This record gives sequence, C-alpha cells and structure tokens, in this order.
Amino acid sequence: MLFRVDPAAPVPLADQIAAQVRGGVVRGELTPGERLPPARELAGVLEVNLHTVLRAYARLRDEGLIELRRGRGAVVRGDADANRLRVVELARAFVGEARRLGLAEPEMLAMIKEVKP
Amino acid sequence: MTTPARPAWRRAAGAVLPWLPVLLLLGTARAWWARLPDRVATHWSGFGRPDGFGSATVLLTATLAVAAVGALAATVAAYRARPATAAAWLVPAGGMLAGGATGLWLTTATATLAGGTAAEARLGWRFLWLLAGLSWGSVVLVVAGRDPAGPGAEAPAPGPGLTLAPGERAGYTTTLHSRLLIGVTAGATVLIAVAAMTATPALWPVLAVPIVAGLALGEVRLTVDRRGVRLVAGLIGLPLKRIPLAAIVSATAAEIDPMAWGGWGYRVKPGRSALILRAGPGLVLHLADGRRFAVTLDDPETPAALLNALRARITDRPA
Repeated sequence: MLFRVDPAAPVPLADQIAAQVRGGVVRGELTPGERLPPARELAGVLEVNLHTVLRAYARLRDEGLIELRRGRGAVVRGDADANRLRVVELARAFVGEARRLGLAEPEMLAMIKEVKP
Repeated sequence: MTTPARPAWRRAAGAVLPWLPVLLLLGTARAWWARLPDRVATHWSGFGRPDGFGSATVLLTATLAVAAVGALAATVAAYRARPATAAAWLVPAGGMLAGGATGLWLTTATATLAGGTAAEARLGWRFLWLLAGLSWGSVVLVVAGRDPAGPGAEAPAPGPGLTLAPGERAGYTTTLHSRLLIGVTAGATVLIAVAAMTATPALWPVLAVPIVAGLALGEVRLTVDRRGVRLVAGLIGLPLKRIPLAAIVSATAAEIDPMAWGGWGYRVKPGRSALILRAGPGLVLHLADGRRFAVTLDDPETPAALLNALRARITDRPA
C-alpha cells in the first residue's frame, strides 16, 4: 500500500503513519493477516526515524488493529474490523472537531446521547 | 521506437523447418525397413551391449508420431500463437521435439542395422544422431528468428500521476505471494525427497533447487520510493533486484501475459526481464537503457503513478 507523510503538516509524523495504516484497512487495501513493512524499511522509505514508525505501530497495536510479534513484524489482526474502524475514525473526527470548538467531554457525551434515535 | 514485425520468410521458415526431420525419418524408414529386423535394440547403459529391446514397428510409430506432433505444433505456433512472442520459443521447441524423435530413430535404427541383429547392436558414436536431432531446435531458432520485441516495446507516455506536495515523502510497499510457486516447489520437494529416499540417493543435493526457488520467490516484497524500485525475497530477506529511480523513464500498469514474458518465475530475455508470479495486472518499468522490467502485482496503478510522480520531481528540479 501507499504511504505518504508530509513533515510540513501540523500532524505528528507517527500519527500520519498510523492514519495511513487505518486508511488502508478501511479501504480494504490491508487485509487481515497481511504483514506491514518492517519498521526499519518503512523508516527508510519515508525518511523518518525508526522510533517514529515504532511509535505508530505501537499505537495501532494498542488500538487492536495490528499484532506485533518478534520475528514476524507487524501483522494486521484477523479480527481487524474495517466497519468498526470506520466508526472509530468518525468518532476521532468528532472529538477533534469538538475539542477545537472548546467543548468538554460531558458536552460531547451529551451530544452523542442526543442523536440517539 | 516501433515493434518490427517478424518477417514473413522467417515465419515460413519456422513453420517448415521442423518438418525436415519428419521427412528424413520417413525417407530413412522407407530405405531401411526391408533390412531392419523386427526386434531392434532400444536402450544402452553405456557403449557395450544393449540392455533394452523393442519392436521395430513400435519404434518407428512412436518416433514418427512424436516428430509429427512436434513439427505440427511448430507450424501452428508459427502462424497462430498469440501473442506472437510465444511463437519465439514454441517454434524452436517443436523443432527440437521433431529433431529429437528423428535422432532417436536414427540412433537406434543405424545401431541395429550395423550390428545385423538387435543383440549385436552397438551404440558407439551413433548417440550423436540424437544430439544432432535435439540441436535442430537451435537451427530453427536461428533461422526463424528470435522474438523481435515484445508488445509495447516503445516507452509510452506516463499515465495519470499522483500529486505530491513539495516536501511530501511517499513510498509504496507490498508483498507478492505466489501460491502457484509455493505449491509447485513444495510438490517438487516432496517428489525429490521420496525419490531420493527410495531409489536414488544421488538426488539429495537436487533437493536444494525447489527449496531455494521457494524461499527466493515464494514471498517477495516490492518497495517503491524516492530511491527507485526494490525487490526483496521476503522469506530470507535476500535482495533480488534494485532499479534506481534515475534509470526509470516511466512506469505503466499493464495486463501481464506470462507467455509474452517467457513464463513464470524470474525471467530474463533480451531487452526485458520480469518477475512473473501469475497472469494478470502488473507494473511495467521502461528503463533509460531501453530495457523493460515487469512484475505482477494486484494494484499496479498506484506504484506506477507514484514512480511517475517521483520521477517528475527529479527531472523537473533545475539542474
């Protein structure tokens, strides 16, 4: 899959890399069981620090999207659910926008409850 | 640069030449049949006495059938093979089959004729008939001509690119799997191992061939970035191929027909090379030295667009 990062963008590089992998899963370019490029290789490709890629991979692991295994590298998890991920991405966008407008957590939760059918 | 068509006379030569061994076989059979005993020697384990015998009729029928099939295949391939590049090796292969079968006939028939009876037949130098017959394939290859150029030899204009911001960094990586290759090499490994265990211990070293092939090509990682294109054997991390970005004129996505590139696996032919793991979409690189490199992958449009964008970046930059 295609990875692109822009050092001029305000988003940290590790976040950009993680977002690319999430996008890959959502679009179906990355399927369960597929191996991500080795961190060292991806760091070389994108001219970023190895630890930047490792930070991105660690975050994806914490999100339950990939598994990090010694010797096997980063593998997209079998239960990586593109639909759930899409909703998580929407929630992420919602929270980001709400924060920008200065809304606090209780207000956000109240909004979510409001839109409940 | 345009693709020269195979000249008509070369095509005709490819269709006709493989039939000469068949004519030779028929002519000699006619001339020798009366003198040839019913039982002929068919196998030797050295230069001494024969250790295999067969009926002259069966020998003639079998060699004639094989030779005719080879010649017929060459004729059909010369005129019908699609793409035309497939004819480049199907025609000489047909010639080799026809020549080899005729050579086998000549070897066995002359040996028995010279000995008088099958038991007295000696192989001697006559095995050279077989070698000469097999090498008829090379004669056909030289006269009928090599594959002049594959389809699309001219470098096309780069396809739709990808817009990269000035400081943006981009790379494409993907892993190519070949179920066919893994299956074939696994099957070959088992077959050779069984043969080595039960019959021929000398085969043990041969076992390395499918294992190495499987390790090298069973999983291949392709990487495209500002440095160019790299292919690495995924299972053992062995670099297979590196093409610097500066050596790439343009990249295109194309349908890859393995026959047009010389078959499956890592292919090297004059003017082009390829890593073919299946038929279907692939990435074709047109190189600065006029050569082409192809690799089969599922989504060739993305790496092709990326390469063209990266390429534009280094050429547009003022020197």
